[in-house]
Amino acid sequence: MTLLSRTRLPLAALCAVAACSAGNNTGPLSQGLLTIVSGNNQVAPVGTVLQPYRVKVSDQNGSPVSGVYVHWQVNGGGGSINPDSAISDASGISSAIATLGSTAGMQAVTATLNGYSGSPVPFHSQGTTGQAFSVLSGGNNVPERYTSDLWVADGFAYTGTWGQRAALGNAVKIWRLSTSGAPILADSIITPSIVTVSDVQVSDDGKWLVFTAEGGGSNGNPGLHVYELTAPGTAVFRAKVNIPEGLHTGTVARIGGTLYAFTAKDPPNCALRIYDLSAAATGSITPASSTPIPDNYCIHDTFVRDGYAFVFAWNEGLYIFDVGNGSHGGSVTTPVQVSRTAGFGGETHNGWWFWNPVSGEKKYLFIGEEGPGAVGASSSGDIHVVDVSNLAAPTEVAHYHLTGAGTHNFWIDESNQRLYAAYYNGGVVALDISGTLAGDLASREIARIKPGGPNDTYVWGVMMYNGALYASDMVSGLWQLGVP
Amino acid sequence: MTRPIIPRFVVIPVLLVLARPAAAQQAPWASVMGQAIGVVTSVERAPGGKGMTEARLTQPMMMLHAGALNGHLRFTGTLNVEGQTIPKGELLPGGWGEGYNDRRHPHTYAHELMVSGVDLLGGLGGVRFSVSAGKGFVPFGSDDPMSRPVYRYPVNHHLSQLLERGVAIAGVRAGPLSLEASLFNGDEPERPGQWPLLSRFGDSWSARVTLFPIEGVEVSGSRAKVHSPEHRPGAGTDAWKWHAAVRLDRAAVGGRMYALGEWGRTAEANGFFVFKTLLLEGSYRRAGHLGYYRFERSDRPEDLRELDPFRSIRPHLENSILGTTRFTLHTIGYGYEIAMADGALALEPFIEGTIGSARNVGGGVLTPEILYGSTQVRALSGGIRLGWRMAGHRMGRYGDLLGPVPIASHHHAM
Repeated sequence: MTLLSRTRLPLAALCAVAACSAGNNTGPLSQGLLTIVSGNNQVAPVGTVLQPYRVKVSDQNGSPVSGVYVHWQVNGGGGSINPDSAISDASGISSAIATLGSTAGMQAVTATLNGYSGSPVPFHSQGTTGQAFSVLSGGNNVPERYTSDLWVADGFAYTGTWGQRAALGNAVKIWRLSTSGAPILADSIITPSIVTVSDVQVSDDGKWLVFTAEGGGSNGNPGLHVYELTAPGTAVFRAKVNIPEGLHTGTVARIGGTLYAFTAKDPPNCALRIYDLSAAATGSITPASSTPIPDNYCIHDTFVRDGYAFVFAWNEGLYIFDVGNGSHGGSVTTPVQVSRTAGFGGETHNGWWFWNPVSGEKKYLFIGEEGPGAVGASSSGDIHVVDVSNLAAPTEVAHYHLTGAGTHNFWIDESNQRLYAAYYNGGVVALDISGTLAGDLASREIARIKPGGPNDTYVWGVMMYNGALYASDMVSGLWQLGVP
Repeated sequence: MTRPIIPRFVVIPVLLVLARPAAAQQAPWASVMGQAIGVVTSVERAPGGKGMTEARLTQPMMMLHAGALNGHLRFTGTLNVEGQTIPKGELLPGGWGEGYNDRRHPHTYAHELMVSGVDLLGGLGGVRFSVSAGKGFVPFGSDDPMSRPVYRYPVNHHLSQLLERGVAIAGVRAGPLSLEASLFNGDEPERPGQWPLLSRFGDSWSARVTLFPIEGVEVSGSRAKVHSPEHRPGAGTDAWKWHAAVRLDRAAVGGRMYALGEWGRTAEANGFFVFKTLLLEGSYRRAGHLGYYRFERSDRPEDLRELDPFRSIRPHLENSILGTTRFTLHTIGYGYEIAMADGALALEPFIEGTIGSARNVGGGVLTPEILYGSTQVRALSGGIRLGWRMAGHRMGRYGDLLGPVPIASHHHAM
């Protein structure tokens, strides 16, 4: 044993005594702390490129440390990590992207920064095989109410409620997601004198929980409700707008950096009503504009992207408004109609403008048609794929039909070119939407699942989060699903 | 206020009739009738599961029937003030229509305003041709329950009758057969003071054929297409309706016997929903005593209820329902009529009970268990009918196309 080695041993012992090991405490010899930020516990098919893993480097005072290289390494389960050494940015964040191995099972990855407490930080993600959904957790967890819309953000899920069961649909449920992503009911927001929470969304910065309500009339509380998320899952009421007729949906989006709610006013006198939420913290919601839409069953949903509002207005069809893109001189205060196209089976209900990161194309708008149904038992309506290369002249190019069921809301995993559709009594359907889409898309179906079983499934909405698909089922509650 | 519709095809034949030399002239005439019912109704389970009892003044109305031009011009008007006496509707387990559930909706103030040209061809070739226009009943289905023995409105009211529309009717009676055809606006009223949408006139049609094989017996069949009945602007789907009925009303065993058997089917949303009804009722009146019974099995579509569980969300936003409830009900009742003022005024205390069940058919999220906490239906009504010159009144037909023998309803011949 050399003098150097004899010296290292006591130092190592001293480190051990000083708790220089993985953990949250910074020991006296530690330069700082390495902590996990996001990306852990993803579930995806084998070979999938996962969402980025992120860690934060902080000094002993908790301030971010930039310019240090964090070492990333796959320790088991196959696959790869890229890069294997990533420098921390101004926020102290170092990130890398893992690709799952070719065999099903757990992949283990570590982020290591010597001399920092908490290092190495472990990441585990699950690779699945086969083209099948799986139920990971949740379900049968809202027995007293029917469940409506959902949104998942920052480790929490938020679900609305609907109509009359043992209790009225006047609640927004707040779910904490466990380390495996399982929803655990943490809290509820009860709004008196409404019948339905018709739409739920969290803003992109995670600061605002916005929901719309129906029922109760002029003596109730239908309209727009805005809560500040002072922390994920902690909602504090800030402002509301009472609309006696109710709002059917509300889509939260930024135009020019300002947060707006694009809402669908119920009849009579249907309208696209846009509200400025920038002063919601002070209790103020400012109307930006109101664009009348004929009462041909009115607006059912709005999708906003790149300064365009895609308004899905039942028998009126699809309206496209410039609400800030500027291509047609429109703004949120003066929306300019780019086009109106009827058709798509009628009963135009919702949609998603797909920006394909693989092909770079932005040509497809997916539209859901909500046909007649007996809620809880039956449904109808197809997915229509519309070429919007020319926004002034949308043209249907493809469709998907599921016999015995109809589509409701959907979510697109754009990086993986997949559409996940809530299909009411048909459960959840996954479609491959890569490449050119034309005609009948039946062959593009990847898998489907009825999370509540054949007699207890009526899925309202779906949303991807951390590699899992969360589904809000009207009769069987909130589910966490593994995707094929 | 919308003016009643009097199309040219009514006016011109009337003028032709006027131009014909008259033989024995009939003087113009007018007859005023009316009725009102004071009733107490108690139900074992209302929406929410609790019992409920209400006292109301129902069916308060005045009717004016008038004739001129030697009987070739006829007017039928009914003023109904239920909008004042039952603005929130009448307690009625299983009842539905116009946004009311488990309550019967109040009828419009101008319940009927119909002008008819009767026998415009003067009986040429043994054929009586009539036209009618205005606001009133569409020639479809059976008589309005207001003029039938059973007090309780049936669950199938909106499956077996089409009422309070702007309608134009052409009718032909030849011997024992009559045929009626009509155009009308599909929209139902949303409140008592509302008039039909003129812009929608003609978006719906109906036809009814009636056979009178022997005196006091009618056999009828009806077909109708009603566009967007529950969405006034017209975005709703079409309701395609069938109806068949056999009706008996004649003297028997020293008294008067009445019976009705009807079947109906309504398909909506291109057949996605189908609602059916079967109803059998009968009564016997003698020496002032009236006994009656009704069996009914009818479907009710369930809508999303408001905070007020007796009201549905209106206007509709989509074409879905929350399920279908099938009501199987037995109703039995007794009344005793006290005639006064030489029979012009009739006072009839009555009592009536209903027992039966309500079951979900075909699935859905709004079931009787959720609505009432039970599948059992029990109700009791008692009250007094007051009628003025209501004898022989039937509601739902115009143009003098009925059989020659005056038909008595619960308003027996006084």
